[in-house]
Amino acid sequence: MSILVDRTTRVICQGITGRQGTFHCERALASGTRIVGGVRQGKGGATHLGVPVFDTVSEAMQATQANASVIFVPPANAAEAIIEAVDAEMGLVVCVTERIPVLDMVRVRAHLKGSNTVLVGPNSPGLAVPGIGTLGIMPQGIFLPGAIGIVSRSSTLTYEAVDQTTRNGLGQSACIGIGADPVGGISASRCLELFMNDDRTQGVVLIGEVGGTAEENAAAFLSTLTNPKPVVAYIAGQTVPEGRRMGHAGTIIHYGMGTARTKIEALREAGVRVVSSPAEIGTAMAGCLDQ
Amino acid sequence: MYLFEYQAKALMREKGIPVLEGIVATSEQRALDAARELGEGPWVIKAQIHAGGRAEGRVCDSEHLRGIEFTDTVLEVGRTAARLLGENLVTPQTTRQGETINAVYIEPEIRAELQVFLAILIDGDRGEPVCLASVKGGSQVERDIFDDPNSLVRVSLGAADHIGLDVGQDVAAQLGLRSSVRDAFAQLVQQLHALFVDRDLSLIEINPLAIRANDSLVALDARVTVDDNALYRQPAMAALASRTDRSEAEERAAKNGFNFIRLDGDVGTFSSGAGLAMATLDAVSHLGGRPANFLDVPPVLEVSRVKEAFLLILSDPGIKSLIVNVFGAGIMRCDTIADGLLLAHLEQPVTIPLVMRLAGTNAPLAISRLERSGLSLQFAPDLASGAQMVVEGADRRPATHNADSIAGRLAQWLSGRNPGSSS
Repeated sequence: MSILVDRTTRVICQGITGRQGTFHCERALASGTRIVGGVRQGKGGATHLGVPVFDTVSEAMQATQANASVIFVPPANAAEAIIEAVDAEMGLVVCVTERIPVLDMVRVRAHLKGSNTVLVGPNSPGLAVPGIGTLGIMPQGIFLPGAIGIVSRSSTLTYEAVDQTTRNGLGQSACIGIGADPVGGISASRCLELFMNDDRTQGVVLIGEVGGTAEENAAAFLSTLTNPKPVVAYIAGQTVPEGRRMGHAGTIIHYGMGTARTKIEALREAGVRVVSSPAEIGTAMAGCLDQ
Repeated sequence: MYLFEYQAKALMREKGIPVLEGIVATSEQRALDAARELGEGPWVIKAQIHAGGRAEGRVCDSEHLRGIEFTDTVLEVGRTAARLLGENLVTPQTTRQGETINAVYIEPEIRAELQVFLAILIDGDRGEPVCLASVKGGSQVERDIFDDPNSLVRVSLGAADHIGLDVGQDVAAQLGLRSSVRDAFAQLVQQLHALFVDRDLSLIEINPLAIRANDSLVALDARVTVDDNALYRQPAMAALASRTDRSEAEERAAKNGFNFIRLDGDVGTFSSGAGLAMATLDAVSHLGGRPANFLDVPPVLEVSRVKEAFLLILSDPGIKSLIVNVFGAGIMRCDTIADGLLLAHLEQPVTIPLVMRLAGTNAPLAISRLERSGLSLQFAPDLASGAQMVVEGADRRPATHNADSIAGRLAQWLSGRNPGSSS
């Protein structure tokens, strides 16, 4: 069993010819990720980084049997790129693009309803399964195949958690950056569920941020489980008091959720070990597994 | 991006949403003239800041002056405007520092039979806009709704660009509005939704919406937040952006595309990635250190911009040590950071303790370059030891925990960063 990607995963890149797409696909290919093609409208028929380029996602899928796509398309066109992949019935879509207008993501979410596509992101560093491959921008060379599942809303802090679990020898079963946008694809709760059902995963690191309710929802999900695997969480922005608020509605809609304090309380109540410094993630996880 | 009330009302007026005639004033004289132009009074004078809660808010150093004042005489309009302008207003929705009042908005005061709270914003969980409404509108709306959750009406608006009148009729019915105002209310909800979609808003809020004895509706307040990510296709909204609440250093940072906030501690921080930058502040604060700034440099290829970021931090005379915490990934490579630092050092020699925590892409290359430079540095293998070194380097003072000042300003930036996710 593997999380979202395995040895049969064949990846195409939408936006492969751009600067970002080129840079990251080159590195992913070098590290063994099976990138089998790319999409760039108007450049169909070309070869880039040694793989064929197609005009559309469905052409690329037909020719390469791809079942996953990673998207490096500028924000103005990124939602259309996701929708194109969903319409082509792509199994897994990872969107790295940041700064997509939220109403574009509302359209994407509506499109995802009733489809079988799993969307990771946007505004995500992507996902990595050590030993199999990386889809996105996570750096090579910091991973160690192992037992810890990592799910994170913050790109750079994801690497921090990876680094610490590599140094203490635990390693990672998979690492999923879900992105920090208000409207996105796969939720933190769903990632936790995947890790809870994964034989290889022995413990999970959850990295959250102030704002939104992803962590509270994750806590609610964990509370429904009997005897879950140990979870260590860190919430970035704990030393940040509430700032300028978004009208009354921003407070009312979340009903006393969304702050570092409410997230930490909810997670602790669900049995999660919440650390107060990001430097403690690795040791806390090791401690949980020793018990 | 936040709009002022008068800007939000101008947008609403354009869409046909009923608002009162009002005039913006930035001086006592203009306020006096405005009062005369608007008729006989009484008048309401409203501080224009980028946050709500003004009726509950206090002007610093004043026991009695609030962000919304009512008066009966023209002379008092001028006097009140003069007292408000240039002052800082602190409300439950601002940071503790409050926001400076650079303009007031003057409107006739009217009587409302019923005050409704009405808002549209993004519901992140459902991934679509939602309409929130309550008949408990007014300055106490949050408390009143928390006390009586059943008074909150919540209707999902779906992903389509248009909603039918039936949606507003449903909201009106759930609110229990009398039948003679329901058609007008339903039309208003439809207009608000159209404005929300057309202008790429992340929040539109009317509190209160006055429902008057003659069945007319009028928006007495208006709060609008625009999705920053959509400003590229909303040039008219981008033009309304106010830069008055930024310091010179923050302005300089913004020009270079950095997220920079000056704090009042003495430990400088340099990070790439908002999460890592926040975690760096957390780690320093956790050990009793006081961060001098928040800096998130987005992934860049140009060494010159990295140099600018270092010069910006080093321009703070109060800084006593500096931690560089960078995890190279993607196009952000550690050697770019090292080269930028060395260039900055040539322009302005670095004399304070400097702690480098470099990991990820090209970290070994960066470290070897820095080691050969002769610059006096400490290398930290991880964030925990780096934070320890930099706090010791700042010759740590007795722990005055400074979470408050860390910040309002940081939080302000955060809340602006993700306009759809209200924190």
